[in-house]
Amino acid sequence: MAETPPSPMKSSIAAALRETQSPSPPPVAPPAAASAAPAGSAPSSAPPPSDIVTIKLDGRDVQAKKGANLLEVCLSNGVDVSYFCYHPGLSSPAVCRQCLVEVVGQPKLVPACFTPIADKMEVNTATPRVLGIRRQMLEFTLVNHPVDCPICDKAGECTLQKQYQDWDHVGSRSSIPKVHKPKMQDLGPHIVLDAERCILCTRCIRVCDEVAGEKQLTMAWRGDREQLTVAPGHQLDNPYSLNTVDVCPVGALTSKDFRFTMRAWELFSTSSVCPGCATGCNVEVHHAQGEIWRLVPRENLQVNKYWMCDEGRFTYKNVRHKRLTSARIGGGRGQPAQITSIDKAVAFAAERLDRLASGGGTIGLVFSAQTTNEALFALSQVAQKLSTRGATIRTYVTGTAARPERADKILRSADTNPNAAGAKLFAGTGAGDASALLSDLKAGKLKGLWMAGGDLPLTEQALFDAAPLVDGLELFICQAVHDSPLLRRAQVQLPAAAWAEVDGSFTNNKNLVQRLRKAVTPQGDARSHLELIGQIAKKANLAQSEKWQVSARQAFLQMVASVSSSLPAGADPAQSVAAGFASADWGREYLPVQLRFANSRG
Amino acid sequence: MSTTTQSKTGSKKLALGMPTPEEITAGGIPGISARPKLPPDLMAKLNNEELEEVEDIELPTEPMTINMGPSHPATHGTVRIILTIDGETVRDSDVQVGYLHRCFEKEAEAATYTQVFPYTDRLNYVSPLLNNVGFALAVEKLLGIVDRLPERASYIRVIVGEISRITDHLTCLGASAMEVGGFTPFLWMIKVREWLWELLEELTGARLTHSYVRIGGVAQDLPEHFIEKLRAVLEKSVEVLGECESLLVKNRIFRDRMDGVGTISAEDAIAWGWTGPCLRSTGVPYDVRKDHPYLVYDRFEFDVPVGSVGDNYDRVAVRLEEIRQSMRILDQACKQIPAGPVLLDEPRICMPPKNAVYNTIESMIGHFKLIVDGIKVPPGEVYSYTEGGNGELGFYIVSDGSGRPYRCHVRAPSFIHTQALSKLILGAGIADIIPTFGLINMIGGECDR
Repeated sequence: MAETPPSPMKSSIAAALRETQSPSPPPVAPPAAASAAPAGSAPSSAPPPSDIVTIKLDGRDVQAKKGANLLEVCLSNGVDVSYFCYHPGLSSPAVCRQCLVEVVGQPKLVPACFTPIADKMEVNTATPRVLGIRRQMLEFTLVNHPVDCPICDKAGECTLQKQYQDWDHVGSRSSIPKVHKPKMQDLGPHIVLDAERCILCTRCIRVCDEVAGEKQLTMAWRGDREQLTVAPGHQLDNPYSLNTVDVCPVGALTSKDFRFTMRAWELFSTSSVCPGCATGCNVEVHHAQGEIWRLVPRENLQVNKYWMCDEGRFTYKNVRHKRLTSARIGGGRGQPAQITSIDKAVAFAAERLDRLASGGGTIGLVFSAQTTNEALFALSQVAQKLSTRGATIRTYVTGTAARPERADKILRSADTNPNAAGAKLFAGTGAGDASALLSDLKAGKLKGLWMAGGDLPLTEQALFDAAPLVDGLELFICQAVHDSPLLRRAQVQLPAAAWAEVDGSFTNNKNLVQRLRKAVTPQGDARSHLELIGQIAKKANLAQSEKWQVSARQAFLQMVASVSSSLPAGADPAQSVAAGFASADWGREYLPVQLRFANSRG
Repeated sequence: MSTTTQSKTGSKKLALGMPTPEEITAGGIPGISARPKLPPDLMAKLNNEELEEVEDIELPTEPMTINMGPSHPATHGTVRIILTIDGETVRDSDVQVGYLHRCFEKEAEAATYTQVFPYTDRLNYVSPLLNNVGFALAVEKLLGIVDRLPERASYIRVIVGEISRITDHLTCLGASAMEVGGFTPFLWMIKVREWLWELLEELTGARLTHSYVRIGGVAQDLPEHFIEKLRAVLEKSVEVLGECESLLVKNRIFRDRMDGVGTISAEDAIAWGWTGPCLRSTGVPYDVRKDHPYLVYDRFEFDVPVGSVGDNYDRVAVRLEEIRQSMRILDQACKQIPAGPVLLDEPRICMPPKNAVYNTIESMIGHFKLIVDGIKVPPGEVYSYTEGGNGELGFYIVSDGSGRPYRCHVRAPSFIHTQALSKLILGAGIADIIPTFGLINMIGGECDR
């Protein structure tokens, strides 16, 4: 067969992913990695016509911005050029020599990733000379590559495999024994290096230098003994270290957390948002067999570009561990709670809630910054109904404790709640915080308390000490994802679904409303906060068939309509939280993408 | 067949009236009549009016609706026929298929091109290798490598295909004879089929679900002495075949049940889209191998037997003769088969040798990508057709450039033949349904897909 034409399936999947996975609108202004944005793809931000030049790309006239990276121009025009060391979010060192192309008039081939385009440039990417060099470069790269695919974590999503199959696919002419290097070198708390697999592209070095700002990795030795290393006595230890694993085109750097757990092609990918902090990095949840195996960053130039922090990657573990999986009623005041069905617990809660509200009692509603906008919106709707029934409502915004020490200027924020902006919006202006809640409890101002989300910004000890305060309540409903000392004192304990188990949205610290998608089914009897609130409201005759009780999508639509009714469409999210809702989009529904169709990552 | 075989069959004349290969070649007729001419005295006997049935005493009856199948002891195929009968006569029928539906076409969309082969085995499961070959040729046509196939692989495909055709016809004929009461031919024919399947088992590792063909060739070369064993089996088989014929062709009961039953005209058969032995039984000499030669079929001398009436007996006779013609092809293929590779040397299509996979990274990656991503087939669509056991077996494939078919449709001859069953059995007796259905040779796996 002659040269394989560029696979439309691959590009169409990539396009579909891009389309479905960015709920937020495209970036208004090109961010720092502006060179990454395909030149000429966004007419609104296109530079004045004088900057546009026309080049001949494989005999075809192509227009792009003067000085744009030739490789990017090729890729954005559907011309497939192989490359290893180039990454849209990093600088180009042109070390891998894999993207060599022919520029007419230049005696030698030039690396496309290091060549700015100029007017009337004539570029050929598929002449026999270019293809021959491309094949020879791959032959070089493979000379010392170990036969590791069956035991390599990257196999199936490996760029080297892909480039070989696309461009080389012939055997090696070398019979010299392969150079051996350390197979398992511990580089740091999260990462192991297999130096034999490394193809010396230096992407990982640039990630540390340019993204994390920590110069921890370097190349040592020369020639075929060259290898990646850390300085003696030092480690690859920075908050963004696992990005090196993502950008690694081969399986040289592997995550200790993920290695040897799952084969890449057996995973399914669902796009979602990291619940670790207020930044809301866009992530792909990689799951299979009903379990999450890893989180990887998803491109969003407005929020996280191509990266995420190590801590965020491990948030998936909370979905697995210490879960509340069944409903319990009758707890509190030293009495053990009884396990029951969700329906019975909901009926139990609704009956008491109705009695308390009709009696004019004061009810505290806790809006957790860990829950989705839809659940918070539903709770605000219920608050209105409860007050019309006669109850006095006090609202509180809680969540996990802020950690100022983790904040940096890159991605990590001090606020460890993914949806503080949404919680504050829906709790209303008069909402108290967690300390107000505790003092109100101490003062006995509340007769009932309904927590939609069990997190409080307290240490475990403080939480344990504060827990008896709820014993004075007539009614304490607690919907929680995880078991906690506070939860165990609730009269109605309802298991809630974790972030990866629900459809919904979070509002990040830039007021962008970002879409969460359900990746795995909730554990045990757990249901989403939205569903639990909707069922209690229904049983208590507070709301019968409101739109928000139907589905998360209906709740979203109603929420957006009600929040942004007074705002112009497409309002700038920078102005206010509500403005973020005006430009919010639920996006398309789609099935999880099978990674076996993804061809390569990194 | 070797010369000894030919002389044996020629001298024994086991098949009464049935032309031997020599006679056929001597005649040089492209479409020869498979319907044997019986000796005049026998014909007279058969037409003896004394033996004709006494006219039935008409009893008043009213139409009754009954079910035949889907699980019926006498039909060899899972099909449901809702019959409206008047006494023993079929007044109306509604043939319902789909009981063996396995989503072949949908499954194929989720499988790499190589992974589709085991599914094709289960289409017409009495001649799986013909399906293998048909599917492989379709993908190869789309890849544009049909002309580059290794010659030896093409010959092996012809050999295994013709063996499969023989087993297909033997199964059809044996079962049909059994269904009208002749148990012996069934046992003998299945015995022959077993010999052939043993050969295929030695070659492919499986009796039935071979999955032996690959895109670009076949999985492995013929085992040692395969050709000799094949010749020996064919020699034995042709004798048994003659014995079976002698049990059927002059058999009064068999002829009574087959002659003039399930008759269809050539025009009707063409209109229904019939192909294969069923179409040829009506006298139309259409055979894909002859009319649109593929692989190396244009290098063989063989004839296309046709019937004259288009009844069940013609379908028996055509199949009996086709077995002989397949043996002729096998004989020539065994003589002509060249040495050489059996798989195309094209790393992006064919799997590298195992030794290289375990020892070089290049072949390891190639192996890995072919397994995980599949063979990348250029975008486009293709219809490729071959002569299957039951007729024109076509594969229509749309590729989007990925390693899996975007769409894969099978033109299953069984499905098309079964459409006309209702017409064939109209006005016949209930007992005639069984041989008629049997000789259409509806294979559930192929019909329902």
